[in-house]
Amino acid sequence: MAEKTENFETLMKLSLDGDTRAYTILLQETARFLRPFLAKRLNSSVEVDDLLQEILLSIHKARHTYDGNRPYKPWAYAIAKFRLQDHLRVYYADHLRHAVELSEVENDLQESVTKTDITYESISGEVQKLPAKQAAILQMMHQEGYTAKEVAEKTGMKESAVKVAAHRAYKALRKKLER
Amino acid sequence: MGNIEELVEALAQDATKVQPAPHPFRLSLRWLAGATAYIVLSLVISGLRPDLMAKFHEPWFVAEIICLVGILAASSSGAAVLVFPDLHQMRRVVFAPAVLLALFVVIIFFSWHADSPPAPLPQHSYQCTISIALFSILPAAWIFYSMRKFASTHCHLAGSIALLYAFSIGALWLRLHEQNDSVMHVIQWHYIPMVGFGIIGLWVGKVLLKW
Repeated sequence: MAEKTENFETLMKLSLDGDTRAYTILLQETARFLRPFLAKRLNSSVEVDDLLQEILLSIHKARHTYDGNRPYKPWAYAIAKFRLQDHLRVYYADHLRHAVELSEVENDLQESVTKTDITYESISGEVQKLPAKQAAILQMMHQEGYTAKEVAEKTGMKESAVKVAAHRAYKALRKKLER
Repeated sequence: MGNIEELVEALAQDATKVQPAPHPFRLSLRWLAGATAYIVLSLVISGLRPDLMAKFHEPWFVAEIICLVGILAASSSGAAVLVFPDLHQMRRVVFAPAVLLALFVVIIFFSWHADSPPAPLPQHSYQCTISIALFSILPAAWIFYSMRKFASTHCHLAGSIALLYAFSIGALWLRLHEQNDSVMHVIQWHYIPMVGFGIIGLWVGKVLLKW
């Protein structure tokens, strides 16, 4: 591990001297250790790829701020975190812009949800076709009777994330059932 | 994955020899030297306060000036560290301005306590804030111009500390130029605005230091 870390510093020093081969290896290795870091935090592999490209560009742009005399990885991770935060900020801002207020749609909702013939059991087949995480959340909330907060505690997610996932699941189910 | 390979290849082709950035302390010294030259030149033009020698016999005034110089040095070092994505792995330096500011508050408190009976308030008021602001424009422009050449990942904080650097230059110059003994006036129209502009720097940094 120490040897590999040393290699990063040496590779960067060579890169700053204009060594193309060293720079290629450094960027490839950087992409390799940053990919799992991003994959843990983002949903789709397309997003991971896009952001990874952006991070590599940023590393290229900021390479003069690294002198080769301190560990390379904290420097690279600092740039990666910065770009990730930027990406997530834009992502959530975009989602908030397109979010619909509940008050705007309440008139379009069915008059009485309690009188509906639809039960969890009657649509459980459709629920199982949803992504695993959404299906599990719906099952816990509507079959086992957990609240969003309890589901969050059980799954280790944030309560808001559980609500968002449930909301998406309802939306997907409604589309399917309306067909 | 293919895209990444292509990008790596393209970036590698662009890998010309690059001069690494100077160490943050060298960078900080450069900014401090610039600030010193600017203050000295300005004082040569505008003149020192006539009672400066006598004031240097007052311990709280001396402590105030020393601490103000400390804030200038600490903010210069803090800003220099903050231009590096990883803070040059010297995270503690970033907290130095906050420590100095806390010390400054204590010194000003004792200075105000020692100002008994209180020195009369001068005729002017907000004009001091305007003078400090105008005087600080040049150092602020210079430090932001320098910082933009690097890659800060803490744009808000970097902007705040950069403006604190610039406005501490202005506050220091005015304290050495203006004959004024009222601690209350100095707090109200010199130092609170100085810290206030530092807070505005949080937003300025976000705008100017984005890369």
